[in-house]
Amino acid sequence: MIAINRLHFQYPGAPFSLDIPEFHVASGEKLAIVGPSGAGKTTLLKLIAGILAPQHGTIHVDSTLLETLSDAARRAFRITRIGFVFQELELLEYLDVLDNILHTYRINPVLKLDAQVRERAAALAQDVGLGSKLKRMPRELSQGERQRVAVCRALLPKPALILADEATGNLDPANKVRILELLFRATEGSDTSLVAVTHDHELLPRFDRVVDFMGFHGAAA
Amino acid sequence: MTRHDLYLAWHYLRFHKTRSVILIACLSLIGSLPLSLHFLLDEGERQMTARAASTPLLVGAKGSSVDLTLSALYFSEATVPPVAMADADRVGETGWADALPVYSRFRVRGQPLVGVTLDYFDFRRLSPARGNMLALLGDCVLGSDAAEALGLEPGDTLLTTPENLFDLAGVYPLKLHVTGVLGKSHSPDEQAIFADLQTTWVIEGLGHGHTEQKPAARDGNQPFGQASVNLQADPKLLTYAEITPDNIDSFHFHGDPGSYPITAVIAVPHDRRAATLLKGRFLADDLKTQIVDPHAVTRSLLDSIFRIGALFDAVIILVGCATLLALGLVFSLSMRLRQRELQTIFLLGCSRLKVAQLVAAELVLLVIASGAVCWALLQGVERYGGPWVREFLIP
Amino acid sequence: MFVYIARMLLLSLTLGLAFSHTARADLDSGPLKIVASNYPLAYFAERIGGSRVKVTLPVPASEDPAFWKPDTAAIGQMQKADLIALNGAEYEKWLVRVSLPKLKQVDTSAGFKDRFIVIPNAVTHSHGPGGSHSHGGTAFTTWLDFAQAAQQAEALAQAMMRKRPEFKSSFAENLASLTADLKTLDSDAQRILGSHATEPLLASHPVYQYLAKRYGLQVESVHWEPGEMPSATEWEALQKLRAGHPAKIMLWEAEPSAEISAKLKSMGIRPVAFEPCANRPNSGDFLSMMKRNLDRLGHTP
Repeated sequence: MIAINRLHFQYPGAPFSLDIPEFHVASGEKLAIVGPSGAGKTTLLKLIAGILAPQHGTIHVDSTLLETLSDAARRAFRITRIGFVFQELELLEYLDVLDNILHTYRINPVLKLDAQVRERAAALAQDVGLGSKLKRMPRELSQGERQRVAVCRALLPKPALILADEATGNLDPANKVRILELLFRATEGSDTSLVAVTHDHELLPRFDRVVDFMGFHGAAA
Repeated sequence: MTRHDLYLAWHYLRFHKTRSVILIACLSLIGSLPLSLHFLLDEGERQMTARAASTPLLVGAKGSSVDLTLSALYFSEATVPPVAMADADRVGETGWADALPVYSRFRVRGQPLVGVTLDYFDFRRLSPARGNMLALLGDCVLGSDAAEALGLEPGDTLLTTPENLFDLAGVYPLKLHVTGVLGKSHSPDEQAIFADLQTTWVIEGLGHGHTEQKPAARDGNQPFGQASVNLQADPKLLTYAEITPDNIDSFHFHGDPGSYPITAVIAVPHDRRAATLLKGRFLADDLKTQIVDPHAVTRSLLDSIFRIGALFDAVIILVGCATLLALGLVFSLSMRLRQRELQTIFLLGCSRLKVAQLVAAELVLLVIASGAVCWALLQGVERYGGPWVREFLIP
Repeated sequence: MFVYIARMLLLSLTLGLAFSHTARADLDSGPLKIVASNYPLAYFAERIGGSRVKVTLPVPASEDPAFWKPDTAAIGQMQKADLIALNGAEYEKWLVRVSLPKLKQVDTSAGFKDRFIVIPNAVTHSHGPGGSHSHGGTAFTTWLDFAQAAQQAEALAQAMMRKRPEFKSSFAENLASLTADLKTLDSDAQRILGSHATEPLLASHPVYQYLAKRYGLQVESVHWEPGEMPSATEWEALQKLRAGHPAKIMLWEAEPSAEISAKLKSMGIRPVAFEPCANRPNSGDFLSMMKRNLDRLGHTP
């Protein structure tokens, strides 16, 4: 699903750099990345998503070499193939639960919003226990409920790859498990892979593989 | 811009109601203010010019042509010295124009009382919407606004008010009979109380009816006879203050009707050549009267209105610029507040262009809403502006 | 497609023009509505206008138009008319008490107002159901001078032509014929009345001033009604009048009663009806009535 070779990335004018000689994630694999803050975990996810571009090296996602795509194609690729569950991806305060789940479909013409999609969105919400709260506004939801809405939004386009950055942070243990269950369920019975950055070590045993990010500084995992 | 953009923009605006309302209010004010002002100015111009344009020529006493036009056309309180009925006859006798005498000296309870011949109503295309046209001495018909202001309907009576207590020579209170209320004309005629010229001359004291008198001096059946003594002053005579079927035959006039006062004569020339001839006649050999072209007179008044209009425009442009700058500031501030949201959208796979589209959709909605408010405001102005302009323009 | 649109435009334009044209035609079509204040004017208007006018004489047949005053219905009728034919010479005393459009009024005697006969001593008297009335001021039976009658007809015709210029030639033609008739009447009157010129005449009412002036008659008037036997005092007054004015003929507005006739004849006075014809006659018209008047005077020995 993901193949990274001899990657070098550096933020312009910043001392931080990221070098990854080689990194692979198989289809359907559930991978957890751990490591200290500032190690470059989020940067890696953004590189995989095509939001950032490396100075050197190649990134293949779903057999596509990202650097060969134009900006527009990369955005289209991102929106159709990758599901994001980032902490910085907020819900839109002015849209209700259902509209937040459907939001991706409204902002990119590559995705077609039709009755089927709406049904699937409602079904997803039902699935995560928000079936009765479709018309609620985000401010009326608890932190856990908001995170579940964000997960639904990421899963709606049926992505081939789910990137989760601290998706369970700030949640109570019950909700952490619940969110993780949701993400796992999305990968089940399909080729969808999950790459999750997490600090919750108690959840690690449930992943197929855990990568400690300390190892990326200069050497392959 | 897609329907999705508009959908999102609509939800955004709805969510931030206060902000949206303020923005819409600002935009509509900026839009409707100059439009309303220009409408009011145009309406003023229309009222002035329509009235003036439909009044070809005016003959009246020498003096201020503006006062003459205002009092003969708009029944203003401006006092102009009267001319004689003979001047109206003189206009008619030229054969070049129809003469419509107008006598607008009096006011009754704040409304102008205008003495005219019945031709005036044909000329202005006025006819009673309720009741009937003037028929007898002592009748009056009311303009629609005058009827409303006085609270009178056909069949009611209206007492004229004496000008002052010591005016022994005439102007006594006469009870007028309201025979009809004229239809809407959107002109100063709506404000007026119309009576036959002869009725206004009775009010003036030039004609009257009274109880028995020595037959030798009786002029009852001699209208416009030779007698010049004003019998009003005779304490033995009981002068009627209301004209009724029983006493109407005792009403009579004294003196030469040609000398009776009128404010002005509306002269309606039969053609352009006749107008020129008529103007020449009055310009050449007359010391006491003047002939004016009301259109030209109002144009001079309008010039000052247009200057006010230009000033308004300058002020509005400045205020508009200031408001637009403030709106720009509001927008850029709200963009900053929305940074995280925009970041989200961007990360989800939106181009920068999309963000611009969303903002544009928002602007479109704001403009549409402001446009609607603006339209509603203008409707209001159009509906209620006319009378307001009339009061404002005509002293 | 373009041709089709152009055709439709042309068609609607033509229709629009056609409609506006008919609307305008409607406005001016129909006969010219004339209200006359006495019969002579009504007759003139009918003669001049023919089928192009609708003439109304609002005065009831039983009333003398000189002492009539219009009621509200008659005022309304006059207000709605296209032309109000007035005799002038203070004939329409009601005019100052009613509201009528001045531009529609035509004062037919205005052209000769400098020749109006002023009656110096006004006399008020009363008779009949009309109450008291006065014969003061200006003499008003202007039409009994047939030259003046022609002038009145002319003034009326001019006003009619101004109102309906499209009928100018027809009106002018009819006026010429009327004028010719009045001229014949005038010369007949000159011829017939000329023979009475030196002879003193009496009149039951002072209505023959213009007749007398035009045709050189010496007329003295009393105020007698054809159907009302004068009192003894009035007969005495007549006798006194005859002392200085030895008249053998007395002109009457209508045939006097047999009783009056007999008494007059016994005094050597022949009553002759010379009807001013102010109201519409039961039979005949203005011209035939005037001819009959002249004939009656002509046949008087």
